[in-house]
Amino acid sequence: MVKKIDLHAIVSEHYAALYRFGLALAKNESEAADLTQETFLILAKHQEQIRDPERIKPWLFTTLRREFLRKIRTHVAHPEVEFRPEEHDVSTMEPSAMRAIDARTALAALEMVEESYRSALELFYLGDLSYKEISTTLGVPIGTVMSRLSRGKEQLRRALATALESDPRRIIPLPKNRSPEA
Amino acid sequence: MTREQAKEYLSAFRAHGADEADPTLQQALELARSDSELGSWLAQQREFDKILIEKFASISPPEGLKETILESLNGTVRPIQSWRMGWFALAATVVLAALLLSHKVDLFRGSSQKFRSFRSDALAMVSVKPAPILDLETPSLGTTQAFIAAHDAPRLQQFPPKLQAMATAGCRVFVWRQHPASLTCFHLPSGKFLHAVVIRADAVGNPDLPSGPYSENGWHVMFQKKAGLLVMWATQAPMEEVKQFIET
Repeated sequence: MVKKIDLHAIVSEHYAALYRFGLALAKNESEAADLTQETFLILAKHQEQIRDPERIKPWLFTTLRREFLRKIRTHVAHPEVEFRPEEHDVSTMEPSAMRAIDARTALAALEMVEESYRSALELFYLGDLSYKEISTTLGVPIGTVMSRLSRGKEQLRRALATALESDPRRIIPLPKNRSPEA
Repeated sequence: MTREQAKEYLSAFRAHGADEADPTLQQALELARSDSELGSWLAQQREFDKILIEKFASISPPEGLKETILESLNGTVRPIQSWRMGWFALAATVVLAALLLSHKVDLFRGSSQKFRSFRSDALAMVSVKPAPILDLETPSLGTTQAFIAAHDAPRLQQFPPKLQAMATAGCRVFVWRQHPASLTCFHLPSGKFLHAVVIRADAVGNPDLPSGPYSENGWHVMFQKKAGLLVMWATQAPMEEVKQFIET
């Protein structure tokens, strides 16, 4: 017998993290809020199909990401902003310098990471998903997730260091364009 | 396992320790305990992750989002687009306050509060930079018309002849206070957009409309009633350019 899920509890537990994940993807607060709301509406519609409550969290993140990709695929493809590691030869950062950044700068730095690595990082940092859950969400092998997290963190570290190096109190405008994954 | 391999594994280790017991990560964790350089690397990595997680966690969802979600799940009144319209309501308050301060509200003396709210909400929607959010991006007016019709939203059956030849940026359908509405965006030769927001006139109180176009915060706005519909034209292009397209 399928146990009915407690939607109220699930919303309370996950809506904030989903919203942040949506914000990292969409770069727009109202879009992030819409994506979050739509994700829970889809959950409500398909709740009978979810047999294992432990899979709800990755399911929510998968669904939000899928909805985001579905939406942007209906739009004109945007040029991808590429990160060139050789131009940002800074690999270490002091924790005190790290603490000086704000959330917006951190999000902007995340956007500088290559798309394939960034997706794993977003789920890791904003969704608090385990590498296994990320593997499920992105549909890639566990080894690939680990590799993407490792390389993505290195790129993120460099992007943050570059942002701080140019101006410690600078707030980087969020890039507006983003291309869907292949 | 080499140090580099261990680093890759440990990159997947969450800073708050949720993966302490994960068997896949055990060997790498063991190595970090015995290899001081790797141990130091892991400590730095965890510190880095902790700070970033704190930073991201400081992003608060908009107030009321949870309640909006729960209401929509309960099948109550709020449709999906209501959250965005909440922001428009906020924007409307700001715009209305600005209007009161600049006495421009006189333009709408006698018109209903509902109409004024709609005008402000619609203007806030088309004012989004760099361009309004669209459900469909297409240069084809016919495609936008079919899209709007398929979503049972009101639309102009026939746009002014000169406008029919223009490329559109696309369209969106939305709900304003339980009433469906549509937005169609045209590309003008000047590179500016011309927006047409359409809603049933009775949804906004069947108002008396301001006569002719007027300007507000860099926008030229004009209202028309056609076949029971209210059309709001809004653009930042020169009014003279717009007139030649929307005057029939």
